[in-house]
Amino acid sequence: MNLLLIEDDIELADSLAAGFRDHGHSVVHAADGASGLRLAREPEHQVIVLDRMLPGLDGLSLVRQLRAAGVRTPVIFLTTMSGIDDRVNGLEAGAEDYLVKPFAFVELLARIRVLGRRPADQAVTVLRAGDVELDLLQRTLIRAGRAIELLPQEFRLLEYLMRNANRLVTRAMLLENVWDIHFDPQTSVVESHISRLRAKLNADSAVDPIQTIRGAGYKFLAPS
Amino acid sequence: MRRLRIIHTESFRLAALFAVLFLGLAGVLMGLTYWIVEGTQRAELERVIDADIGTIENGFRGQGIREAVEVVQQRLGSDATNTDWTGEYIYLADGSGKRAGNLDALDEKVGLMWLTRPYRSPSDGARANGTSLDRGTSGRTLRPANRPDAYGRGTVLGKGVALANDVYLFIGRDTATIVATRTRLIHAFGWVTAITLLLAAAGGSVFSMQFLRRVDAIARTCNAIVAGRFNDRIALRGNDDELDRLAGSINLMLDRISELLENLQQVSSDIAHDLRTPLTHLRKRLEDARDKSTTVDHYSTAVTQAVEDTDELLGIFSALLRISQVDAGTRLAAFHELSLSGLLKELCAMYVPVAEDEGKSLQQRLMDGVTMDGDQELLTQLFSNLIENALRHTPSGTQVVVSVTVLPDAVVTTVADSGPGIPEHERAKVLRRFYRLSGSRSSRGYGLGLSLVNSIANLHGASLVLSDNSPGLKATVSFRRGK
Ligand SMILES: Nc1ncnc2c1ncn2[C@@H]1O[C@H](COP(=O)(O)OP(=O)(O)OP(=O)(O)O)[C@@H](O)[C@H]1O
Ligand SMILES: [Mg+2]
Repeated sequence: MNLLLIEDDIELADSLAAGFRDHGHSVVHAADGASGLRLAREPEHQVIVLDRMLPGLDGLSLVRQLRAAGVRTPVIFLTTMSGIDDRVNGLEAGAEDYLVKPFAFVELLARIRVLGRRPADQAVTVLRAGDVELDLLQRTLIRAGRAIELLPQEFRLLEYLMRNANRLVTRAMLLENVWDIHFDPQTSVVESHISRLRAKLNADSAVDPIQTIRGAGYKFLAPS
Repeated sequence: MRRLRIIHTESFRLAALFAVLFLGLAGVLMGLTYWIVEGTQRAELERVIDADIGTIENGFRGQGIREAVEVVQQRLGSDATNTDWTGEYIYLADGSGKRAGNLDALDEKVGLMWLTRPYRSPSDGARANGTSLDRGTSGRTLRPANRPDAYGRGTVLGKGVALANDVYLFIGRDTATIVATRTRLIHAFGWVTAITLLLAAAGGSVFSMQFLRRVDAIARTCNAIVAGRFNDRIALRGNDDELDRLAGSINLMLDRISELLENLQQVSSDIAHDLRTPLTHLRKRLEDARDKSTTVDHYSTAVTQAVEDTDELLGIFSALLRISQVDAGTRLAAFHELSLSGLLKELCAMYVPVAEDEGKSLQQRLMDGVTMDGDQELLTQLFSNLIENALRHTPSGTQVVVSVTVLPDAVVTTVADSGPGIPEHERAKVLRRFYRLSGSRSSRGYGLGLSLVNSIANLHGASLVLSDNSPGLKATVSFRRGK
């Protein structure tokens, strides 16, 4: 993926850029808002990783200007501010995602990969992966021709996993997108729901499409 | 200095303003009185003149000019030229000239007229020279005056009548009495003014002094607070006057400020004390890894644990920040109407699998369609913390019930479990930051959950009550209802 990293902390930027390259992405780095905005207008970037606090032009106004100019490249904010308002402000300005520093690198990587997926996916009404078929309009799940009853939260969980099939989704991403929970629960909410979903999904099947990535999250495996 | 301050107080200014208003009113009243009195006195003068004319005319009608002359001479007494005693001027003449009276000559006009007596002062003499009426002899002539309002000694109001074809009678009176009345009125007005000013100044000073005393008391309290005595408050008088109300508002503000200050101090001391422990652990672990690890496995375990320690520290940080952010009250702006039933239903559905996995049960007794104004995200966190406590600090087999009930004046939500509960004497303490029961020390958690619940409840104007569910703990959050 082609990434644009706008971050003024050189040490952090270098380590992030090295990490991205290790995972096969190409990175362009800008150290201030003005040059960041100039680079962000170029269409070859697939995801923009943007520090919220930048010298000169701050991240929030940068996103606003970008969106006003019609650039739709997905943006993920990196910020040291963890206030509730800060997240809301960031999303309202036009960013797609938001991550508070310090964070685990896998978390950022997972979110970038999800942001980089083609937007056309959003218009799909039936998600198919192997013998699993999720009808978003009928709200039904069919596996190998057999209908499976899901609770609403289980349905949303599976939908999110399948939309991001073959990509790692972290626990925090599931909490945010499935339950709209923006704090860290002290109980195994995600694990419990995944195990329920797995039990229903795999009741008559030997293949478990949901892969657990230890210490990171889950991945829905879809045969390509 | 103090005297100057009094003059600059609002109450003194008010007293001064009232004094000026009162004086203005008194002036108008005086003017009116004077106008009425003067009119009356002038009418009286005219009446006296008419009476005198009547007497002389009677004499003339009866026995002719001789009798008239006699009456005049009787009236004027022995000194026929003296006008200073009575202020009365008489002039009686017939075809042959003056017959009687204390005036030497007069322009024989009929009707009411104003005249002045010439004075001996050089300027008066010079002025008098030009008129034909002034025959030179002082005190014996009068000349016309055209300003009837110029009363005073020497200004004469008189009336001329023709008793017969060639018999002319003039009687005049000095207006000095009118002037005397005026002088008395002006004097009275002067006294009134003086007394008013004196009273106003004295009253203004007394009120201002009282005012200043109370303002000084407020200022003293504020200065004491500046100097660090944060618990000082302004004494109220209890009469609910404007200063009392101001002092009350200031006291309320001080309460809020010291609350925030305490909050801040608490957070800083929390950070200083309670972050020290996990930091010490982390440091020890890293040191051990450096000194004792011999294999790559050792190292990687140590580093993994160090990362976990760091995450725990970050968790404490964000929990503390969240609490102080909620306490600061800035989230109030984000309140909007939300479905409390919906929120709790979603949360229950979210935690049911967790409860089942731990051998517990989670039931909901929710009234439908309960709405309220609030912050969706914070309320989610509030109930999530309560439900998680009921799941984490209880043994398996515990039953947890979440309920929402609408009362006439409140929306009551409860999270109740059948676990060990919290002993009564600990219930207030668990709301404190980092406070955990001794039995919970081994489990994960920071002891910040209930503090945040309490803060969020406060932000929503709600109360958090922990009570005995016999057995277990019952946490009740009551939101006031009112529209
Ligand atoms: N339902 C409950 N039953 C028994 N004890 C409880 C219950 N809820 C709270 N407690 C006690 O009160 C203490 C404080 O609770 P609080 O939620 O503030 O902190 P915590 O749960 O220990 O940590 P965290 O910050 O993760 O919430 C707990 O440590 C526990 O000892
Ligand atoms: Mg808790």
